[in-house]
Amino acid sequence: MKKRLIVLNHVKKSFGDLTVLDDFNLYINENEFITLLGPSGCGKTTCLRLIGGFESPDEGTIEFDGKVINDLEPNEREINTCFQKYALFPHLNVYNNVAFGLKIKKVPKAEIEERVMQTLKLVKLEDYASRSISTLSGGQQQRVAIARAIINRPKVLLLDEPLGALDLKLRQEMQYELKEMQRQLGITFVYVTHDQEEALTMSDVIVIMNEGKILQIGSPEDIYNEPKNRFVANFIGESNIFEGKMIDDYWVHFCGRDFKCVDKGFEEFEEVDVVIRPEDFDFVPPSKAKIVGRVDSLIFRGVHYEINVIVDGHEYTIHTTKYREIGDKVGLAVEPANIHIMKKEASK
Amino acid sequence: MKTLRRYSFPYLIWMILFVLVPTLFLVVLAFSDLSLYRLSAFSIRFDNFAIFQESYIITALSNSLIYAFVVTILSFLIGYPVAFYLTTLSEKTKKILIALLILPLWTNMLVRITAWERIFSPNSIFTDIFNVSIPILGTQAAVVIGLLALYLPFMVFPIFSVLDKLDPKMIEASKDLGANDTQTFIKVIFPLSLGGVVSGFIMTFLPSLTAFALPETLGWRRVPMIGMEIQKKFIIEGFQAFSINQGALISILIMLFSIASFILITRVDKEGETLI
Repeated sequence: MKKRLIVLNHVKKSFGDLTVLDDFNLYINENEFITLLGPSGCGKTTCLRLIGGFESPDEGTIEFDGKVINDLEPNEREINTCFQKYALFPHLNVYNNVAFGLKIKKVPKAEIEERVMQTLKLVKLEDYASRSISTLSGGQQQRVAIARAIINRPKVLLLDEPLGALDLKLRQEMQYELKEMQRQLGITFVYVTHDQEEALTMSDVIVIMNEGKILQIGSPEDIYNEPKNRFVANFIGESNIFEGKMIDDYWVHFCGRDFKCVDKGFEEFEEVDVVIRPEDFDFVPPSKAKIVGRVDSLIFRGVHYEINVIVDGHEYTIHTTKYREIGDKVGLAVEPANIHIMKKEASK
Repeated sequence: MKTLRRYSFPYLIWMILFVLVPTLFLVVLAFSDLSLYRLSAFSIRFDNFAIFQESYIITALSNSLIYAFVVTILSFLIGYPVAFYLTTLSEKTKKILIALLILPLWTNMLVRITAWERIFSPNSIFTDIFNVSIPILGTQAAVVIGLLALYLPFMVFPIFSVLDKLDPKMIEASKDLGANDTQTFIKVIFPLSLGGVVSGFIMTFLPSLTAFALPETLGWRRVPMIGMEIQKKFIIEGFQAFSINQGALISILIMLFSIASFILITRVDKEGETLI
């Protein structure tokens, strides 16, 4: 079993009247790339700041490596942070920004120089050592921020939406590089983002949060394929969500028809949410199809078309590489394995 | 927008008439034998520089430089912690304390100098109430304390305005990288507030350097400063040849300090955010 490096136990945190986290429980394994994913205001950044030591919990404990660290200052924790807008020191050049942590620790000068150059090489900035921060592009500043944090060889690196300010191409590049770096360095990464694609690409474990609560924890595949509820299904990728009823084990009824599925163990006629990913629909000849509808709209999205099909008043969103004219009569098919059944939320 | 430009003309004309022209006059006076109150043909002359060999001018000048320097350093040592403290307060308390700093500045300077004169007299309000007196009129201490009281706020404001805008993330980043509070102050907060410190230095140093009413009142005539000498030079014009030309020359020397300061400020503080 993996070692639990960070444990949050019944943590509560409020700012004034606003309770951001309440009875929050989470553990983070060593050498894991874990992503806290959720909409803004869901408490993910607060969670990160609690781990980093920039906030202290009102109730509950935060453990690091088996010890409670509630009262430790950020400078007393073996954790480094890569801040949202980098927070690089404008009065220092690239070299001195990266060397900051080592200088504080009074590491010998020769070693500092060696490690700074080594780290700058890792983030591909070895030629930028004497540059001033203000002359760097967003992507370069981002790399300096990462270099400045990892040079201290922390056990944990906290990353607060570090790629938010970058353009799409650079973001995808950096996602790959971050993942690669995490593998190489063997550091636990705790990554905060609201970008589901980023989370799916990089993480070993994704924690989906909303309104200060954890909705689901799992590998990217689990979360994408088996969302626990409507919110998760909606938040991760695009989804068609229908209200349905379980008729029997492996049989679900929605949109006026009965479908075979792979889920069981529900009560008879239990109301459920049914999720079908847009890419899981196939076009079939209308004569052979169970679902027949008309193409209502079509948008070209690059890799695929996004087609809305109206079937008996229900709207289905479909991602496909096949072209259909607006107004075409189409038949749709979906594999039983691609019909995901979710229990209804108790509240809301 | 162009039509709006003409509304700036009155003040621009005012500045040309009462700032630029007199300054040019001052330059001409300094390097010539022109007499201000009897304008006539004049000839260029550099003999006015002899004034800098006079011992009373040397004393006054070095006094001014030393006091201005001492006042500036003291203001910094007293003012920086105050500026820093202000940034840690809630918005409301912050406003109240800043108001307390500003309010005295709305009282006429001469009134405040007179108040200090009373305090430093053998019989002051303190004598009545506490039966103590601080009879230091006519001493260097009186002049330095007076200048300090007058110009300390000008050290606090620019430093405060820089510190107040300091991104709290800078402090978090520093602590995150292992620096304790003292290290964070030395390595991050202070260097990032240098712009405000330079502005503060200039805004206390320059007026202290050129002060004349205060040293005259609190120092009587025993503590000569260069501002007093310049004033004298202009007043006794007519009784002594080339007195006003010498005064102009000293003024220009002082003006060079201002220009140098201005250049320094624009270097360290490119947006001018620390200038009030």
